[in-house]
Amino acid sequence: MSRKNKGRRLTSVSAGAELILHVILGLFALCCVIPFVFVVIISFSSEESIRTIGYSFIPQEWSLETYRYAFEKLPQIWRSFFNSIFITVVGTLLSTAMCVMYSYALYRPDFKFRNFFTFFSFFTMIFSGGLVPTYIISKQLLGLSENYAALIVPLLVSPFNIIVMRTFFKSSVPMELIEAATVDGSGEYSTLLRIVVPISKPGIATIALLNALAYWNDWFQALLYLRQNKALQPLQALLMELQKNVEYLNRMAGQLGTAAIMESTKAPTQTLRMALVVMLVVPIACAYPFFQRYIVAGLTIGSVKG
Amino acid sequence: MLAFKNYKINPRNPTFISSLFNSAWVKFDNFKFLFMTEDAWAAIRNTLVYNLVFIVLGVIIPVAFAIMMNELTKKFVAKTYQTLMFFPYFLSWVVVSYFLNAFLDAQYGLIPSLQAAAGGPVTNWYTTLGPWPYILVFSNLWKNVGYSTILYLAAIAGIDATQYEAAAIDGATKWQQIRHVTIPNLRGMIAILFILNIGKIFNADFGLFYNVPMQNGALFPVTQVVDTYIYYAMLNTGNIGMTSAAGLLQNVIGLFCILGANRVIKRIDSESALF
Amino acid sequence: MKKFFALLLTAVMVLSLAACGGGNGTGSGKTDTPAKTDAPSQTEAPASDLEPVTLKMWFHGSTVTPEASAKVLETLNPYLQEKLNVTLEPTWGTWGDFDDSVVTALAGGDDVDIYFTCNWSPNEYNRYARDGYWVKLDELLPTYGADLLNTIPQEIWDCAETNGYDGKGVYAVPGLKDTATQYCWDVNGTLLAELGYNVDEVCAAGLDYYSDDFEALLKAAKDAKGANFYPLLIEAVVLERMGTTTAIVTGDLGNSNILSYYYDKANPSKDIGSNIVNKYATEEFKKFAERTYYLAQQGYIAPSSQNEATANDYRTATTQTGDYLISTQSYAFGCELDYSTARKIDVRMVPAAAPYMDATSGQGAMMAISATSKNPERALMFLNLLNTDPTAMTMLNYGVEGYTYNKNSDGTITFIDDARANYTLWTNGVGNVRILPPTNAQGLDFWDRFTAYYDSAEKLPMGGFVFDASPYEQEAAAIANVYAEYGFNLMCGAVDPATVLPDFLSKLESAGISKIITGAQEQLAAYLG
Repeated sequence: MSRKNKGRRLTSVSAGAELILHVILGLFALCCVIPFVFVVIISFSSEESIRTIGYSFIPQEWSLETYRYAFEKLPQIWRSFFNSIFITVVGTLLSTAMCVMYSYALYRPDFKFRNFFTFFSFFTMIFSGGLVPTYIISKQLLGLSENYAALIVPLLVSPFNIIVMRTFFKSSVPMELIEAATVDGSGEYSTLLRIVVPISKPGIATIALLNALAYWNDWFQALLYLRQNKALQPLQALLMELQKNVEYLNRMAGQLGTAAIMESTKAPTQTLRMALVVMLVVPIACAYPFFQRYIVAGLTIGSVKG
Repeated sequence: MLAFKNYKINPRNPTFISSLFNSAWVKFDNFKFLFMTEDAWAAIRNTLVYNLVFIVLGVIIPVAFAIMMNELTKKFVAKTYQTLMFFPYFLSWVVVSYFLNAFLDAQYGLIPSLQAAAGGPVTNWYTTLGPWPYILVFSNLWKNVGYSTILYLAAIAGIDATQYEAAAIDGATKWQQIRHVTIPNLRGMIAILFILNIGKIFNADFGLFYNVPMQNGALFPVTQVVDTYIYYAMLNTGNIGMTSAAGLLQNVIGLFCILGANRVIKRIDSESALF
Repeated sequence: MKKFFALLLTAVMVLSLAACGGGNGTGSGKTDTPAKTDAPSQTEAPASDLEPVTLKMWFHGSTVTPEASAKVLETLNPYLQEKLNVTLEPTWGTWGDFDDSVVTALAGGDDVDIYFTCNWSPNEYNRYARDGYWVKLDELLPTYGADLLNTIPQEIWDCAETNGYDGKGVYAVPGLKDTATQYCWDVNGTLLAELGYNVDEVCAAGLDYYSDDFEALLKAAKDAKGANFYPLLIEAVVLERMGTTTAIVTGDLGNSNILSYYYDKANPSKDIGSNIVNKYATEEFKKFAERTYYLAQQGYIAPSSQNEATANDYRTATTQTGDYLISTQSYAFGCELDYSTARKIDVRMVPAAAPYMDATSGQGAMMAISATSKNPERALMFLNLLNTDPTAMTMLNYGVEGYTYNKNSDGTITFIDDARANYTLWTNGVGNVRILPPTNAQGLDFWDRFTAYYDSAEKLPMGGFVFDASPYEQEAAAIANVYAEYGFNLMCGAVDPATVLPDFLSKLESAGISKIITGAQEQLAAYLG
């Protein structure tokens, strides 16, 4: 087969096979994106349309009303947007750096306690301390309350990412390379920064992407640790709160008296749910190609051998 | 410890630790509700079966996709596919459930209205058991494949290109290259993700099983899993001890599964094992 | 591996012991403070004699922006300092975040002085009182809350009484708000008139769920408006209570109601020999489920109402447009006027039963003093002020004059909509609503009419009984799952009771429902003495 394709790259498949691959991957990719398109459409549909024909790809009437409602209800949306970006950038940098360093130590076979620390990180993944003890320690001992740190620190270390990163190192960084560098007189940190990190770019970019998503999507830390200083709320927490408010009122209004019932009827519940997804996903989706450049770029060039 | 206690705060000294020590020991009572009824056993069975299917398909499909994407000659297209596959990760299960509802809803859904237009009998999808196992498995893959694929893609990207060149020079076909170069290089990642997933065999994805079937009780025989079972129990009792007990049980089982899986993998290939 | 385990365990043990020791040391100091203060009534004492304290208070259902909060507190706090030397530091819990965050805060022992609580939120009043989260108020009330004691009627105090950590007593200040429950049929008068009925006559005659007339109304609407119109708009659990004339038993298992207490439609206080029963095992329930299934089969109930996940959205959307003929409603005083305006139709409320009072309505919104509070006396003095002093209550609830509202010459107030949108509290969850100034929409005599209506409600024969489900947690956990499988579907008419009800009952039985019913009956008997 490879002889036939002499003109193309050494390692490519036949044209017919590639077509099949395109069909399979293309269909699945389409499956993945259609629901999102649907979400966008619903968010721009009028409530009236949903009331009469339900959710539909072709609404009876388009409307910006939902977005107007969201912006009106959330005067601090821009502040929260900034908070989210700040938390995501700082959090991703810190957590990725920590993950790389921790897992690099675990990867080095000459690190004496690697098995203990592997087990340690993995143990915390399986047995977390539980919500309440974590909350008490974070708030009372670490002072993670009403500040940005409370939104960044709890997500800094992810055992899953550490273990995955260690695997990346194992599969892409040959030990000989590190030994050679050491012989050449390279210090530990310069070996890590100049040799290991460039080779593991795809892996690190992947971990960074996962961290960025985790920070961007997180609302639970804000719920736990921001009680009074709500100005620090990230976007996700703000949107989540609005949605939960609306859903709560929808469910409970009956027993909360007239004021609550009146409030519940004002909200465009069904389109709001979708609009909030759009408002949240679009910014992070824009950042996605940045990470992807490193991940998929690796595909063409392979690893850089030292 | 919470698992074995009837946890109550000590109001005279409301720190967590003193409260813990003041709560009464209830031995294994907190675990009882998990095994008391046949519904609970059905939930356990469902959890295990679904998770096994998810784990097996969750390895095969993303690895296959990653390899396929790697073989595409137009990298721009590969990038596009990969970006699109990541989209489901952004959608919460609640949103997914409404998307599915747009097709299945008895009042507004597309499929029932097509059935009605065709003059055939209209199915009430939310009370018909048959299709739900497939819907749940597909939904789970749909949401997670993009995420795992990217991990495998990054692992493939780390493979030294000279290995392929050497194989090609030796006259290896594409298929042989995949079998003898790509897959052995992915072994480590496959093993690790497999071990980590095995550890969660007793934990079901709550969002999937709670939201996607829209909490319809009529579907419980095929949609009720341990996590939803605990959730409903918690709604009624608000007992932290009971949820901790269930969580502990899930974790202990997970721990043993991981240790077992780790041992098996160590025997096959000591390099890929977790520790 | 074993070594790591041992190491880890030792570390954990050492840490927890150390923490335990420290905890005991710091906490023991305040053990005796609440009960032992025998000082003369301090509500009269001048504020300057009191130590300045900051009180943290956690509200439910507020929509307050940080700026609006600062603005109102700027005026409110000096007033409170002058009155009680108290500075208020509120946490504006919202509808959406209250459930999750309040539970962690309580379990984590946060330093909050006053929490909102009630019998339908996760920090459920009776359970949290039992577990020791709230300060018992009985000894403190005469000293620090004398006015409060007189303002709130005795029947409501009775409802607030519960078996708490320190014995039977009052563990929170009940809100003086809509303190009765009444179920009504919400009738779309506009549509009824369109169908050629005399609206006043139909409403005056009352509606009987099981009568042919009821079905005839639905049929007329369905025929007139087409196959896609569903005349009977339901909230399944409310419909069930209306159809069987039962009351909720306070303390019933969390979200799944398995207990019923039957009362007399016309005279709720009349003793009809009622007892607490298994809701689903009665003849009345069977009749109700069959009727509902029949009406659903006729196409009178929307499929969206029969799916738990879509029912709420559908109900809210449909009431808004008025696309229904008859709906279910738990009545709140004056709601028909609000609804008529909002839906642009003539909304009529036809009582399904007379209003009644029980622990569920009495405990609907309360303020409890946390066991972690360092100043329970001052917290109670503040609650006393909030419930008796119109200035404080109005300021906290409605904001500041000229900012969130303006006074009218007739004594009513008019909101300044833009500012009010950023400062809205859930009025019922704050305190005594009857000392608020009426709004221009409510009319000057609103609170008089309000008071007259709610005070007329009769007390159920079971009085302020509260069921303690804590001995039955294993059963409750199993029953929750059985209920989730069948309960809703039966109440909304989605499934045929002839086939499903027997399964349901036998599964409830094997999950241990009879143990709970017997327990509840014994508790009720003990309560009634």
